[in-house]
Amino acid sequence: MGVTPIRPGQLAGVPLGRRAATPIIEIDHVSQVFKTSSRRDHTALSDISLTVGEGAFVSILGPSGCGKSTLLYIVGGFVSPTSGTAKMKGKPITGPGTDRGPVFQEFALFPWKSVLGNVMYGPLQQGMKPAKAAALARTLLAMVGLTGFEKFYPKELSGGMKQRVALARTLAYGPEVLLMDEPFGALDAHTRTRLQNDLLDIWERDRKTVLFVTHSVEEAVFLSDKVVMMSRSPGRIREVIDIDLPRPRRRDELLLDPRYQKYIVEIERMFDASGDNELPS
Amino acid sequence: MNGLWKPLAPVLACCGLLLAWQFASLGLKNDSFPTALDSLRAIPPILTDKESLINILASLRRMAIGFALALAFSIPLGLLMGRSRSTAAFFNPLLMLIYPVPKAALMPIIMLWLGVGDVSKTLVIFLGVSLPVIYHSFEGAKAVEEKMLWSGAAMGLSPPERLLRIVLPAALPEILTGCRTGLVLALITMVTSEMIARQSGAGNILFNALDMGQYDTVFAMIIIIGAMGICLDAAFEIVRRWLVRWSEPQFDMPLSFS
Repeated sequence: MGVTPIRPGQLAGVPLGRRAATPIIEIDHVSQVFKTSSRRDHTALSDISLTVGEGAFVSILGPSGCGKSTLLYIVGGFVSPTSGTAKMKGKPITGPGTDRGPVFQEFALFPWKSVLGNVMYGPLQQGMKPAKAAALARTLLAMVGLTGFEKFYPKELSGGMKQRVALARTLAYGPEVLLMDEPFGALDAHTRTRLQNDLLDIWERDRKTVLFVTHSVEEAVFLSDKVVMMSRSPGRIREVIDIDLPRPRRRDELLLDPRYQKYIVEIERMFDASGDNELPS
Repeated sequence: MNGLWKPLAPVLACCGLLLAWQFASLGLKNDSFPTALDSLRAIPPILTDKESLINILASLRRMAIGFALALAFSIPLGLLMGRSRSTAAFFNPLLMLIYPVPKAALMPIIMLWLGVGDVSKTLVIFLGVSLPVIYHSFEGAKAVEEKMLWSGAAMGLSPPERLLRIVLPAALPEILTGCRTGLVLALITMVTSEMIARQSGAGNILFNALDMGQYDTVFAMIIIIGAMGICLDAAFEIVRRWLVRWSEPQFDMPLSFS
């Protein structure tokens, strides 16, 4: 399990005290340059190298505008990097694929499909029989706590429920990596906490690789094995921090755990020192 | 009070209009402005006359064909334009050129090329319906959330599949708004085309009666055409509501549950 930043002239190291895992995502010297409306070049990502081990829960943490979502979109294959390569299981990423499942802050559900229809969509696309796809969708909806809402349309659901449907919809087609783009960013604090807890419960079952973009320090530390700290202008990796806290994690236990608090304070101090002080939400 | 008022309001509005018409006509005493009662009395003879019915049905048939062809052409084009910048860049100037031209003004030229028969009239209806439908399909497709398309791409949908199975349904409310405008325009262009190419149709009955000074028939035809418009629009609205029930505002109240 592990993420390792590869710096120039340094081999991918394995962090001490951790079992080495097969790399599943390898990001190699990726840069992303956008043209702004005034035709200037804006460097969103500058020379990012990162390896994510199979089964790791990795958060990308940084202030808004540091390019953390862009990095996720590159891994998703939705955006091609200006230079550098991203690989999934050793193969260069050239476009989106069912092996990488995104979950967006905007939910991006299909509003014309019912909750069940949304979750069945991926399996049906893969050629699964409707009856089987429906059964799978019902199982997943039960897992995210939405039994009884199968026939509802997305518009009838609250934000938290929509994100639960979006998670079930992505899990339904069996991606090997979950790409979560500030998934709980649009939710109120209470809902957000509940979804974080539920996400960890779900993750504990099969420990899929998760790449999780957030700007909340607490969220990153609570969920992750690794926190990749990014700084902005241009977007760079400034630090990768191992979160050595026991699993399965429980919020009430962690809140009393001085190690958990120490991680949060340490990370916040690092951001403060760099002047990226817009970070904590 | 409120519950009773709502369904009665349109009926009262119609009655009020007819009353105002009746009194205005009685007051003016002009031959070319028959009373509402006389005009209403002229409706049954038209609707029981076989030839008139054939004419009206011929109009409706041309209108249906023109409307259907326009949708089949305009919706895919509008959607493509909304999702592909080069397609939009190519077609936009052409459409901007055609948009302000009254389609009936093209009728004489079209008649010259294609004759005064069904083909010319259907083509004018087609042109009249196409532009609002293209425009609304274009706007609808342009507004489709990028992330929704990405979600589809991650599920393995190819670009044509995404256009058909994500862009089309997502843009459907906007497309149907365009279709509704198109339907009214179909009726208008249908009548004007028959005014110019006088051979058959509801417009033909109207203008023949005008030539012969049968003003009660003229006004009866205006009422019939107006009623056709109201019925078509109401029927379309029922279909539209059913197709986009997932986006209707009665669902705007989300459940409280995290």
